[in-house]
Amino acid sequence: MNGEEKGDNLDQQKAAGEMREDRAVEKQPEQSAEVAKQSEGEKQRRSVSESSQPVIAQRAKQACEDDAKGSPPEKPRIIEKPVGFFAERHPEIIAISARKLRAWTRRDLLFFGAGVAASVVGGGFLLPPDTLARLGIRGNTDSPRKENFLNHAINLDDNVAEALYSKHRLVPTYSKSDITPLKNNYNGATPDDSYLPGWTLTLQGLASARGVSLGIQDLLTRFPQHEQITRLVCVEGWSAIAWWSGVKFDDLLRAYPPPANAKWARVDSSVNLDADGDPDPYYASIDLATAQHPQTLLATHYNGQPLEVEHGAPLRLLAPVKLGLKNVKAITRITYSAEEPRDYWAERGYSRYDGL
Amino acid sequence: MPVIQQSRENSAAGSTVRVVRRHHALVRWAHWLNVPILLGLVLSGISIYWASPIYQHKPDPQTGIYEYFADAGIWMCAHVPGLHAYSSPPDWVYNHFSLGTFMLAPALRLHWFFAYLFIANGLLYLVGLALGGGWRVLLPRRTDVRDSLAMVRYYVGVPFAVITRRKRVHPRFTTKYNALQRLAYFSVPLAGVLAIATGWAIHKPMQLHWLAAIFGGYDATRVWHFWLMWFFIVFAIPHIILVFADGWDTVRSMITGWSLRPAKADELQQ
Repeated sequence: MNGEEKGDNLDQQKAAGEMREDRAVEKQPEQSAEVAKQSEGEKQRRSVSESSQPVIAQRAKQACEDDAKGSPPEKPRIIEKPVGFFAERHPEIIAISARKLRAWTRRDLLFFGAGVAASVVGGGFLLPPDTLARLGIRGNTDSPRKENFLNHAINLDDNVAEALYSKHRLVPTYSKSDITPLKNNYNGATPDDSYLPGWTLTLQGLASARGVSLGIQDLLTRFPQHEQITRLVCVEGWSAIAWWSGVKFDDLLRAYPPPANAKWARVDSSVNLDADGDPDPYYASIDLATAQHPQTLLATHYNGQPLEVEHGAPLRLLAPVKLGLKNVKAITRITYSAEEPRDYWAERGYSRYDGL
Repeated sequence: MPVIQQSRENSAAGSTVRVVRRHHALVRWAHWLNVPILLGLVLSGISIYWASPIYQHKPDPQTGIYEYFADAGIWMCAHVPGLHAYSSPPDWVYNHFSLGTFMLAPALRLHWFFAYLFIANGLLYLVGLALGGGWRVLLPRRTDVRDSLAMVRYYVGVPFAVITRRKRVHPRFTTKYNALQRLAYFSVPLAGVLAIATGWAIHKPMQLHWLAAIFGGYDATRVWHFWLMWFFIVFAIPHIILVFADGWDTVRSMITGWSLRPAKADELQQ
């Protein structure tokens, strides 16, 4: 019954098409004739090259045979105007049995419907539960499979970022007139400075298998100081150009080398507070390739002054090739490892690599 | 004749019809895939925008609100009937045109997911366009400015013609697309390329800093990326209205590929 209805539809369309065509012929007979010539030429080529297609160029063939039977043509007849390289080609006109056209149409419409259904289901699967709840879809819409699926996308992006990274590619540096204000983006409350007097930097997981403890004076006196004006880019989208100075992470790696199989460093902060002011330990993973970048600093100074608490006194990681969230403030411990260590924000749904 | 007709010689195989092969399968696939992809990109993109809006003003002394989407939400809830009781007016825009507020992590994941699909889809389309020669129908012509204006005049006049019940004659053209369509369909892939380029420039501003420099630096590139989103939105609205106004043949041709309308059409108006 459905099929019959569709058949009727098609017949109506056919009738409409014929009517329209009649009008066209009346209006512009010359042009229409030209179209016919062109399309016949095309059809001829088609019927030779693609016998599998439902193209039956009956009239074209007929025309050919007529030509052959009649008196030999006096001069070659141009059936297709030569067109330039940039000239628009007109779409192909094909003859097809109505039944086949119906089947073709039915198949494509079903495909389309299936695609729409798949998109709706896919959207329902991919969107965060809170968003779905606002759309009126409640119930348990969170699943580890969603998490895993999107992790593939973010891992792909991390792999691309890692492939783009080169230790030898420097980030742009700026002049002092380009410096912009830098906001304190502590994730919660800014800590008070009570941690400062007893502060040390502890290195663990070294090749010597013994931990090393360094005071801020050790860092300032035993290593060459470097300064740079670079851009710090936040995952939120804002950025700031700031003037930093400190020790190259690479120099520290050379002075206190990790074992040959170490690929990662876990960087811990002295202190981090949540919004209520309660301790909320902060740690980030850094791949050693990034740590070895010539512009990756353990910064001690900001704008020529020793770091203040809000910018991570007395020592912060400054890796301009990473998002700000990897630029851990007030670092107190660096632990080298062969395995990828934990990362505060990766555990909260962000990328693990965060390469810029 | 490029129109359906009965073929008497071929009656054994049933009636034969003639149709125009209007859209290649690659074009159709790329077109429809763009719908969920762009929707996903816009929804997640506005959630990313929320985290640090590029357009900010001085914070309102009372509310502390400093950006325009929040203002728009407050205005909506104050003036649109039925929205007066909305629980958090500053979030209205974000709650209706994005994944929501405080959604940066899921929004970034979805944005990368859809961005890679968008890139793959765009490449497929451009390669098909190059190999199949379909790019020719999109090339701007010298006459396009004049013809586009004629189309604009026509569209502007249609509502008045409907009200006054006067006949409105569609401008004639003998190409696959009219000048305005050509402008739109030529701009969309271009905007796609720019959206992807600016996206990479702000996603990898250090490794690809030269790319951000082309667009005027990191902050300027964010502005580009934001307005390229608006390009797609502003394109989509008349695109959807006009395709349905044009009729089922036009919609169907993007699904099935065939059309009853011949290429050299001067009878598009009914």
